[in-house]
Amino acid sequence: MIEVNDVGVIAGNVTLLAPISTSVQRAEALIVRGRNGTGKSTLLRVLAGARKPTSGTVRIAGAGVIERDRDFRRRVAAMIGLPPMASDLTVLDHVLLVATTWTEDSTAAAELTHGVLAELGLDSLDGRFPHELSSGQTQLFGLALVLARPFEVLILDEPEQRLDPDHVESVIRALRARRDAGATLVVATHSTSLADRLADRTLLLDAA
Amino acid sequence: MSARLRAAIGIWRARDVRTAGDRGFLVYMVLMVALVTVAPLARAVWLSATSAEGVALFASPAAPGATMLVVSSMWTGALLLGRDRGPALRPPFPTHALAVSDLPRSSAFRGPVLRAGGLVTATTTLVAGLVAGSLAMSGLSEPLSVAVFAAVGAMVGVITTVAWLAGQAFPRAAVPVALGVLAVGVTTAVVPVIQPFTPSGWVGLAYPGTSSSHTLIALAALTATLVAAVPVLMNRLDIAVLTAQAARWDSATAHVTSMDFTTAAALYRRRPYTGRRSRAVRPMSGLAWTFLIRDAIGAARTPGRLVVGVVALTASGVLITLAFAPGSPGWLLGAAAGLIAFAGLGPVTDGIRHAASVAGDFPLYGISDERLLANHALFPLVVLVIVLLAAAVVCSILTGIPAASPLASALALGLLALFTQVGNALKGPLPPELLTPIPTPMGDLGAAVRMTWAVDGVLLAASAGASAALAFESPLLLTGVAVTVVIVGINRWRHRG
Repeated sequence: MIEVNDVGVIAGNVTLLAPISTSVQRAEALIVRGRNGTGKSTLLRVLAGARKPTSGTVRIAGAGVIERDRDFRRRVAAMIGLPPMASDLTVLDHVLLVATTWTEDSTAAAELTHGVLAELGLDSLDGRFPHELSSGQTQLFGLALVLARPFEVLILDEPEQRLDPDHVESVIRALRARRDAGATLVVATHSTSLADRLADRTLLLDAA
Repeated sequence: MSARLRAAIGIWRARDVRTAGDRGFLVYMVLMVALVTVAPLARAVWLSATSAEGVALFASPAAPGATMLVVSSMWTGALLLGRDRGPALRPPFPTHALAVSDLPRSSAFRGPVLRAGGLVTATTTLVAGLVAGSLAMSGLSEPLSVAVFAAVGAMVGVITTVAWLAGQAFPRAAVPVALGVLAVGVTTAVVPVIQPFTPSGWVGLAYPGTSSSHTLIALAALTATLVAAVPVLMNRLDIAVLTAQAARWDSATAHVTSMDFTTAAALYRRRPYTGRRSRAVRPMSGLAWTFLIRDAIGAARTPGRLVVGVVALTASGVLITLAFAPGSPGWLLGAAAGLIAFAGLGPVTDGIRHAASVAGDFPLYGISDERLLANHALFPLVVLVIVLLAAAVVCSILTGIPAASPLASALALGLLALFTQVGNALKGPLPPELLTPIPTPMGDLGAAVRMTWAVDGVLLAASAGASAALAFESPLLLTGVAVTVVIVGINRWRHRG
């Protein structure tokens, strides 16, 4: 599903990501680990099309990475930092709006919305506005927005950030369910429990 | 000021001690600004106030009533302003340190309140003195009235400061009280019989040429009572309000310093707390309808902001219509209409700002960025077409100005203001290339270019309004402004993210 060949990123004379090659199969979870500054987020940005590599190539489902290409946008979902949130929408409104733009079936959109919120333990917070959420709840809310849209490849940067162990467990369950349903996951994490429970393969990045 | 407070403030100020050279430069800068900018501006204002038109305006029979409206609006605004940025404000750290100490807040925050009050009072005193001085110079009032009305101006300034502080001390009660003050002010202006019984009426009755000693005594008594209440108000200041206001002001001034006015303004954008049970997203047969309703309900969740936006758009429609009145300064009224329309669109364009943020981030919605933006543009488009055109039609009927031209200009102005809002939403941070100095024989023009970039939305909106008012005399001007607005928007869209 994902082919990474000698991909490296250099900014000026600083190496952000040392050249690396790897591949990820369909319905496989690749966990990217490494100390701070080894290029985990940079690699994810390259995969998500937000950053062009200075060397090497990336192909996803046989096609190049073009962030504004319609097929790529449909295929690849990413959360690297929090997604933009509208201050005038509640949690439920947000997730439902995202789901509604991906399907003509309003019943399916509503079911997906309620399912994702329940899956991440956000169903009791559905009437809150983004500014009324704690940092951990905001992280879960960001994940809910990404999980409410269809994807074949899901790219996540430290989804466990700001979460307590119970909620990390909810996230692991949600991600495993996506992988078991056929999605390809690339997840950068510092969480050993998330890595142990989710990884089919682990990519360890060394200092650049 | 207690010894402890003096010591604490001293420690804070000691970290920012200016050298003799810095102090000298500051004095030089203040002198130059005073000589080059303030003095000519003050002279121009005085000449304008004492011109035949200025005197006629101040001496018109409507002037006392207008003064009552201005004063009550000022007190209303001060109450509302206090909720977001009160006069009792220090930088975040000293605010926190003093607020959590056992020092009385009436002492800890006395300095900032006195400075803010002094500035407000000096301004109102000067304005009142200017009005009275203009009339006295023309022989339309006694010289003594200058001193009397200036004193009235000073009292208005003190009352304004107390209202400002009251808004900070009682943020929740400030809204109904402000609406009450405004209602009383408007009623006073239109029902003369109650003028001797209301504060804004006392100010109107003290207007040069109509002065009455009873009203002065009443106003002085009210001012003294309110000043006596200041320590009580200050001791009621809430720590959460103080620290939140200090942090927000600190952040906003940092953004303003880097000319990021959009982010600074966003810090003061009111956030929703109501309407959460009313579903904003209602899947319908067409996504356009879904977004239209989502944006409408989203805007209604901050009702005060929405009302201000609609009132501003109405005022814009009225001004662009009045720009077609014979003998009126059309371009000036048009420019004012453009500015007000741009500001009025703010509360109804949250969706456009969200679309701009999403367009610069990873794909989230199942539609293209272009379609997302177009869908979010529907609600402000509907609002501006309805409100601007209705205001233009009603104003045309009331004033007898033929409606066709104002309607066309209002529509052009609204569309350009909306485009300008889109461009503003896509603006992003200051491009680094603008930091490059631009040496010329007159000096470095870099600062002027950066300032133009920072306020380009306002400049384009004013230009759009002026050119819309002159659309039938100079259609090329309107075309040129429209092309500029569209090019700016398209260029920012291409470079989004």
